[in-house]
Amino acid sequence: MWWLLLLPTLVLADTVATDEKVLGVYYFTPMFGHVHQSSVGTSASLTTIQCSHPVKVIESSKVSVGAEWAYVQVADYRGFLLKQFLSEKRPDCFQGKYPKFFDAFNLDLAELYYWGRLNDQYIQGETRVK
Amino acid sequence: MINTFKAKLALSSLLISASLFAQTGKLQEEKELEVVDFKSIKKVLQQDGLMESSKRKAKQVEILKKEQGKIETGRFYYPNESELWGFVSEYWLVKNAQILNWDFEKPDYGLEKSFRSTMENMGFYQKKFKILLLNTPSIVKASLPGDNEMIFLLSVPFIRSLDLSKLEISLLLFEEFVRLELGYFKKNVATEKMMKLAGTNFQGQKPDISMVEELLKKYGQQIQQKGYTFQQQFEVTKKMDAYLKSNPALWNAYFMLQGKIDKFIKVNVQYKDYVKLYPSPEMQGKWLSPAEKVL
Repeated sequence: MWWLLLLPTLVLADTVATDEKVLGVYYFTPMFGHVHQSSVGTSASLTTIQCSHPVKVIESSKVSVGAEWAYVQVADYRGFLLKQFLSEKRPDCFQGKYPKFFDAFNLDLAELYYWGRLNDQYIQGETRVK
Repeated sequence: MINTFKAKLALSSLLISASLFAQTGKLQEEKELEVVDFKSIKKVLQQDGLMESSKRKAKQVEILKKEQGKIETGRFYYPNESELWGFVSEYWLVKNAQILNWDFEKPDYGLEKSFRSTMENMGFYQKKFKILLLNTPSIVKASLPGDNEMIFLLSVPFIRSLDLSKLEISLLLFEEFVRLELGYFKKNVATEKMMKLAGTNFQGQKPDISMVEELLKKYGQQIQQKGYTFQQQFEVTKKMDAYLKSNPALWNAYFMLQGKIDKFIKVNVQYKDYVKLYPSPEMQGKWLSPAEKVL
């Protein structure tokens, strides 16, 4: 009967394996941004990432995500990013194009944080093509 | 006896050398030289195709070196003018985050849809824009150039105090779009250094970031202190008049908006600087009014 003790672990392992699916690796497109704790632009930041950072987009039955948001894994963090900030192709980033110019500013942590928040706070749009 | 022996030895060695020379036609030294002479194996190398492959390799190395040099040089460019405006605009917003107070929770006012629709109504297509709402009355509105896009700033306390409708907010933003299109912001803020350095290479030197520092200072002065001249404001209003004339509902809303702002800022001390920056809603109303006929 000792194996009954192992049953919950086995069931849990099975659930994790079947419930989650990695939809693909995408790249972050704005200059800086935050991986959010919840799918709200003003929610707490788990970590700050910069343009071209690869993120794993995950589908999980345990996590409900709004249409505009993606559930992602970045290093050890799991959180939320706006889908409009993700691209399948590696983007042409400002800091990659002009590395020596960009490095000269030596941005501090507060500036990196606010630059990330800026992209969350913008109301962005584009008029249609005629 | 010894002398006779030496003479015999010399004669015999001469005879041996002569006989060898007679056999091959080449001296030993010549043969030795041939071993180290590349020319002698050239034919063999050519036959094996080794010469071709070594030439190809040399070409490849040359191309790779050139590419490497290009990549290395490319790392030392200043951004082009459009990218530089975009970078400095955002850097100014980041540096002034606390003063502008844009990092706050706000409801969805539906501004993206209403402004996009106003722009499309006016016939402006494929225009990218970003709207940043500010939780401060100290800056009412502003438009900053981005990299092939526009960045609009708008004060939430201002639009709440005036109880502006979506249409009125869109018209305020459209006025800022017209101002940006006329190039007044860039004209007032651009520096000689920026125009000179944008898009150039600084390899072998340190990048001159004082160019950006100067621009940041001028951004602050333009948005918070200097604003626009009467002439610039007149041109903006006339352009608005021309754009909106074909749509009487929008023209009326814009005309009424000027009156609304004029009345509001005259009684609210908090907004006393508005007239200095955007002279003036009262004059704008007059510029918009049709000229009275003198009988």
